[in-house]
Amino acid sequence: MKPLRIALTKGRLEKKTIELLEQIGYNCDEVREKGRRLILPVGDNDFEVVLAKAADVITYVEHGVCDLGVVGKDTILEHGSSFYELLDLGFGRCKFALATKKDFDFYGGYNTKTIATKYPNVTRAFFDDKDMDVRIIKIEGSVELAPLVGLADGIVDIVETGSTLKANGLEVIEWVTDISARLIANTASLKLRKQEIEDLQKKLEAVTQ
Amino acid sequence: MKKYIKLTPEGTKDFLFAECSAMDDICGGIEKVFVSRGFKKVITPGIEFYDVFSVPCSGISQEEMFKMTDNKGRLLVARPDSTLPIARMVTTRLKNSILPVRLYYKQAVYRNEPTLTGRRNELMQMGVELLGAKGIRADLEILTTAISAISSVADDFRIELGHAEVFDALSDGLDIDEDYKERIRVSIESKNYSALNNLLDKLAPSKSVSAIRSLPSLFGGDEVIEKAARICEGTKAQSALEYLHTLYTSLSSLGLGDKVIIDLGLVQRNDYYTGFVFSGYVNGIGDAVITGGRYDSLLSEFGKPMGAAGFAIDTDALTLLRLSDSSVSYSDKPDVLVYAADGKEMEAIALVTDLIAEGKKAQFSVLPTLEETEAFAETRGIESVVNVE
Repeated sequence: MKPLRIALTKGRLEKKTIELLEQIGYNCDEVREKGRRLILPVGDNDFEVVLAKAADVITYVEHGVCDLGVVGKDTILEHGSSFYELLDLGFGRCKFALATKKDFDFYGGYNTKTIATKYPNVTRAFFDDKDMDVRIIKIEGSVELAPLVGLADGIVDIVETGSTLKANGLEVIEWVTDISARLIANTASLKLRKQEIEDLQKKLEAVTQ
Repeated sequence: MKKYIKLTPEGTKDFLFAECSAMDDICGGIEKVFVSRGFKKVITPGIEFYDVFSVPCSGISQEEMFKMTDNKGRLLVARPDSTLPIARMVTTRLKNSILPVRLYYKQAVYRNEPTLTGRRNELMQMGVELLGAKGIRADLEILTTAISAISSVADDFRIELGHAEVFDALSDGLDIDEDYKERIRVSIESKNYSALNNLLDKLAPSKSVSAIRSLPSLFGGDEVIEKAARICEGTKAQSALEYLHTLYTSLSSLGLGDKVIIDLGLVQRNDYYTGFVFSGYVNGIGDAVITGGRYDSLLSEFGKPMGAAGFAIDTDALTLLRLSDSSVSYSDKPDVLVYAADGKEMEAIALVTDLIAEGKKAQFSVLPTLEETEAFAETRGIESVVNVE
C-alpha cells in the first residue's frame, strides 16, 4: 500500500511538525535536506511529506490527494470546507483580533463601519454573529496601514505579540478567536486507512498534550 | 462584450468517447443491481419550483441552487437533489398506489459550488428510494442494495453506518438552543475535537455531555458498540445504539469483514435523516461516493407522512476512477475499414453488416477514395482495409 501522504504548511509550521515527527521516532533527514524537492519520504518510507502553502494544504487534503495535513486554524477558518480536524498540535499559537486606532469608539454611532483585513471570511462570520453590517475591504499586505491612512475604521488580523499594533498607535478592542496548528484528515482516508491514521494521531497526541 | 461561445460554464464538462463508455459501464452495472432488486425507474424534471427544496429540513441552502424564473415570475431552480422531487412525486402522482414503492433514478443534479475549487456543478447521480415502509427489513433492503451496487463497480470500499437519533437523543438532554446544538453537530461532523471540547466545556457536566464528547472518536467495528453502550448507558440514545448493532450484526453474515464500519460521529444532514444513516467510500476517491439513510419525516412536509429510506451514488467520481484504471481499455478503434468503389456502396455496407454479425469491429469508409481510406487507416492504426470493387 502507498505510504500516507501528509501536506505541511511551508515554513514555521513545517519545522515544528518535523520536530514532532522526530520526537516520536521518525527519521526526517530527507525533509531537513530537501533542496528544491516538494515531495519527500519520512522514516523508512512510513510517510510522504508534501510541502505547500497554507491554503493549498487544505485543498490537497480536501481532494484526497493528501491523506493528512498540518495547517493553522487561521487558514481553516478562512478557507475551511470539508475535512476532519483531528488534533490541536499546540504550536503556532496566536489570536485573531479586532483592532482600531487608540481611543476610537468603534461600536458608537450609527454609520456602517469599514474593516480592512486579509481574512474576509473570518471577518464576515465575526460580524454576522453580532448581526452587524460592515463594509469589508480585502488588503494583501500590512493591514495596519488601512486605519492610519483613513481607509478603514478597524482591522481584523492575526496578533502574536501586539508590537506592530502598538508601534502604529493601534489597540486590540476585541479578541476574535484563538489560533494554533491543527492536524487535518481527508474524510475518505480516515475511513479507508483508519488504523494507520489513528496510530499516528495517538503518537502525536502523546507528545503534544 | 466578451462572448463565451467556446467554453462550458465552470464546474461542467463535455464527456467524450471513452468517458461516455466508462460512465455507461458504471451506470449499467449499478442499474442491473437496482433492476434485479425490483426497483423501477423514474425521471423527474430538470427544473422545479424553488419551494420544493425550501421545505424545512431539506438540507440544501439557497446559495447552492441555480435559480431562474418562469413567465409568471415564480422562482425555479435547476434540480439540486433527486430525493425531494421524488418525495413530491410520490405524495401526488402515486398517492393512491399500493405501498411500498421501489424507485430508482439516474439523473444529474446541479449545485452552485464556490468557484476555483475544482468541484463539479453538474453531477450525475444514481440512487434508490424505498417509500412507504419502515423497520429493519426496509433498512436492510436499502443497505444490501447499496452494498451490491458498490461491489458491482469497485472492490476496495467501506460502508459506514450511523444513526441520526444517537446525537438527537443525547443533545435533547442538554439545556442549549438550536444554534448551539448546530455548532456542536458541525464539530462532531468534522471530527473537530478541539472545537467540540471548547463548546462542551461551557456546559454543566452530565452523562450526555461526556457521551457527546466521545462521539467523533467512536468509529470502527463491534468494539465501538460496546464502548458506546457503556458511555450512553441510561441515556435516550440506547435504543438507537441497539438498533445499529442489530443492523451491523445482520450485515456481518455477508462476510464483508472490516468493509462495514460503525461511525457514531456520522451526524451530517441530521435535519434530513431520522433513522439509520450511511456513507460509502471507495479507495482512490477523496469523498463519500454513497450517502443515504432513513428520512421518515420528509414526506409529511409534502402532506403524506410515510416511512422512506434511500441513497444516492456519485457515479461521476466512479467513472473518473474507472478511467484511471489502466487495466480497462475503452478503445473505439475498428478492426476493419471497408471501402466501396463508385456504385458498390450498398454492397460494401452489406459486407460491414456481415462482418459485425461475425463479431468484428467493422466500419464503412465514408472517404471518397481508396488512397484516402488507406491513409486514414494508417494514421488511426486500423489493421485492415477491404476494398469492395
